[in-house]
Amino acid sequence: MKKINYFLAALLGLSFSFASAQTPKGSVLIKNATVLTVTKGTLQNTDVLVQDGIIKKVGTNLSAPSGVQTVDATGKYLMPGIIDAHSHVGLDVVNEATSPITSEVQMKDVVNPTEVGIYRALAGGVTISHAMHGSANVIGGQNATLKHRWGTKNPNDIIMMDAPRTIKFALGENPTRVHGRGNGIQPSSRMGVEAVIRNGFNEAIQYKKAWADYNSASAQKGNTATAPKYSERFQTLVDILDGKIIIHCHSYRADEIYMLINVARDFNITKLVFQHTNEGFKVAPEIAKYTMGASVFADWWAYKFEVYYSTAFNAAILNANDAITSINSDSAELIRHLYHEAAKTQRYGGMTDDEALAMITINPARQLGISELVGSIEEGKQADLVIFDTHPLSVYTVPQMTFVDGVKYFDIKEDKNDQRLSVSPTEMVEDIYLRQQTERCMQDTEHLFDMAGNLFNQN
Amino acid sequence: MKRTLFKASVICMILGSWMISSSTFAQSDPTGKKRITSSFAITNATVFTEPGKAGVKSTILIQDGVIAGVGNNLSIPKEAKLIAGDSLFVYAGFIDGASNAGITKPKDLERPENFVSSDPPDEIAGITPSRSAVDQFAMDSKVEELRKGGFTVLQIVPEGGMIAGKAAIMVLGNETSSNLIMENTALTVSFKGSRGMYPGTAAGVMAKFRDVYKNAELTKINSDKYASVPGVKRPDIDDTFMGMKDVISKSTPVMFSASSELEIRRVLKLQKELGFNLILTDLENYEGVIPEMKAAGVKVLIKAEVPDDKAIKAQKKDATEDVKAQYIRVKESFDKAIAQAGKLEAAGIPFSFTTVGVKAGDIGKSLKTMIDGGLSETGALAALTTNPAAMMGMSRELGTIEKGKMANLVLTTDTLFKEDTQIKHVIADGYLFDYETKAKKKATEDGDATDAVKIAGNWDYTTESPAGSGGGVITIKKDSNEYSGTISYDDPGGSGKLTTPIKDVKLDGSSLSFAFDVNAQGMSIVVEISGTIDGNSMDGTMSIGQFGSFPFEATLAPTLNAKL
Repeated sequence: MKKINYFLAALLGLSFSFASAQTPKGSVLIKNATVLTVTKGTLQNTDVLVQDGIIKKVGTNLSAPSGVQTVDATGKYLMPGIIDAHSHVGLDVVNEATSPITSEVQMKDVVNPTEVGIYRALAGGVTISHAMHGSANVIGGQNATLKHRWGTKNPNDIIMMDAPRTIKFALGENPTRVHGRGNGIQPSSRMGVEAVIRNGFNEAIQYKKAWADYNSASAQKGNTATAPKYSERFQTLVDILDGKIIIHCHSYRADEIYMLINVARDFNITKLVFQHTNEGFKVAPEIAKYTMGASVFADWWAYKFEVYYSTAFNAAILNANDAITSINSDSAELIRHLYHEAAKTQRYGGMTDDEALAMITINPARQLGISELVGSIEEGKQADLVIFDTHPLSVYTVPQMTFVDGVKYFDIKEDKNDQRLSVSPTEMVEDIYLRQQTERCMQDTEHLFDMAGNLFNQN
Repeated sequence: MKRTLFKASVICMILGSWMISSSTFAQSDPTGKKRITSSFAITNATVFTEPGKAGVKSTILIQDGVIAGVGNNLSIPKEAKLIAGDSLFVYAGFIDGASNAGITKPKDLERPENFVSSDPPDEIAGITPSRSAVDQFAMDSKVEELRKGGFTVLQIVPEGGMIAGKAAIMVLGNETSSNLIMENTALTVSFKGSRGMYPGTAAGVMAKFRDVYKNAELTKINSDKYASVPGVKRPDIDDTFMGMKDVISKSTPVMFSASSELEIRRVLKLQKELGFNLILTDLENYEGVIPEMKAAGVKVLIKAEVPDDKAIKAQKKDATEDVKAQYIRVKESFDKAIAQAGKLEAAGIPFSFTTVGVKAGDIGKSLKTMIDGGLSETGALAALTTNPAAMMGMSRELGTIEKGKMANLVLTTDTLFKEDTQIKHVIADGYLFDYETKAKKKATEDGDATDAVKIAGNWDYTTESPAGSGGGVITIKKDSNEYSGTISYDDPGGSGKLTTPIKDVKLDGSSLSFAFDVNAQGMSIVVEISGTIDGNSMDGTMSIGQFGSFPFEATLAPTLNAKL
């Protein structure tokens, strides 16, 4: 079938569009590494064979089939590609901040695969990032799960097509500041935030019914039914209610976290992950029982009022309460050393190696709905792998090579220095902003609160 | 019997022509601007009837705005004004695929009292598909600049937000006419968000465009049902639906502005989802998506502009290896940019130009650069004539020099795209516009560049840097074949001006460079200035040690003291 497609493609001169539908898959044999599988323990002096992008075999004395390259990893560590459950790297637009609900907005529309931050993330061993809409809206846009296939200019090549849909929610100060204080509309308070969510879901239920009624009525002969207004905004909320989309909710305070748990339970929503979640440790049992866990910072807080009550033990406490816990970056800088961030849970909370590593691999994979595909080194999984020179939780460790689908996209020794995919023809030195201007939760919202802009940090 | 009929017809003809001319004379013309004749004959000119055809010596007869004949044995009516074409080259009038010349942006509407920024009325949020560019258009100096450059027909696009309105095709004829050829030729759409309201970003615009499009489709279904089935609820017909109606029925294409590869991909994605007919416009960076554009079969308007080469010219020979590696990438990027039009041609995508955001005076030079970069002259001419005519569905009326077509012509002093070729006349809608041509520059025999470019004198200069704009006077003297002089500049240590000698003055053709030393807080810095001289003005860069390069402009002051 494939052959026929390619033949047709060549015939019609469409080879490019057909070829681009298929992302590159590599084959490689990594020999003699200390393999940190994360889910199946640590294997000394072990080989991992990758064929066509899939981990084919994990074992000893494996030999490379003809044409498959061998990488000698003697004395080195191999771990699953790091997954960042909260990032804004690779997006041209982060916030459509103009409405309390923008569930119709899609980050997949504005993915920029040429952003050099993606390569920098690869250099930090990150193979998958969750490119999220910002936190200006109570119900923000739909996110994109990206596979860091560096080198392409086609956004579709880096969007992980087999990942489920996810959407951004945000509670607390950001949406109340942008909409309440900035524009004088709901929500102005945490109560308003809850009302926006409940109203949204209730309207979505009505929307679903209106279309169901129309569809059944218009099948009748001689009917007088007219089509309701189309709304991708409500359709997306319907899809959340139908369990087709995972909510990733920006949150800090325990009360608002517990509020959303209750809202979700009222609407029978179970696919819910909390982001930031600095007070998650106060409601860890509830998070464990009713949600898909929390994705937190290792030790980042005190940048605004709602983020003062925080602790570096947050991840460990959540984990000890059996909440699925991941460590994320929300930053184009932190994304380059998430393995350090994970290691902090050992200093603050005494996590084991596997527990700490799980927080940047299999746990975020579960929260993104992709744990069957990635997040650990297991036969049959996609070959997203990183080779470190020493143990990845060591403070001295440096990533050496990063593979996505068995294709090497980062090699500390062989890569050329200038990794830009697009270069301006008119500027010798392109603008470099000393102040971080992109990839923040509150990107693109500055104009909405000119006065308050400098008073608040905007994560 | 036959004879009588013949006689009668002759009498009719005479009478008829008498009546026509008498009616013209009968109207009073207090302005005195009415032209004497609407007949023209361009005699014995080298005529290029269409792209790819060699020039043939022939005569073109024009009557009442229409080409009445092209050939060598035409009988020229007595009232025809003769234009001696012996030394002239004639091409079909150029067609601008999308232009905002003559367009005035409509005033922003006032926000109603109950305005909600998250759900603004369409009209305020930049969704105005019912607007027409015709209402925003007036012949102005920008239009005249384009005509001077050979453009005779413009597809004008309205100003506005994400869905600005409808384009229209205008001929650049006499200002007493409306000059409108066709209205509602395309719906112009861009990724432009509304400030401070929904949708504010490209992501929001894409979502909103889908919403507007799909709801227009539903309103159409509901309206059709309302028209045919009794008892159906009245559909809600609003301005947005009225403006989108012809777009969803695919009789009006969407002209979507997308300058970069990523934007083009975004538009193609929308087009694939919604299925509208698409014209991509404002293309600047598109090399990587040529196969996708070809596969989608879309129409393409590229910007009639190439990147400037200031960065390339500012490259220094004594740079470090790292910097040199970056130079190479900038040069590659530049070469790629100017080669794109040629690649589009090679891929077999018929394209045309847009002049939105382009200086009319630079178009000729930009086209020459594209030709240097690989575009064929035939391809360039097609992009100016036959391609846009075909895109507009007006090949019968426009694009070539043929009997029966609209009398839109460009008359040049030499073949098109040659360095010194100038436009002498433009005929649009049968109206003649004359332009001054300058005599060719005399080639200097011994190649002494100083004969062509005079730099001695006092130059007033300005420069822009992050520290603000600065300026002063450069005085250049010539002693035999050596140049020397001084420069005044803002004292970096305080206020006022300092004057210092300039050194290493080099004039190569029209490129001038020199340097001077500045002492700033005990640090000695060499400032280098290089640029190109064009008449009395110089355009270039000022590079200050490791602090970077900044734009530099100077004009030669007409002082009496300057001995040339």
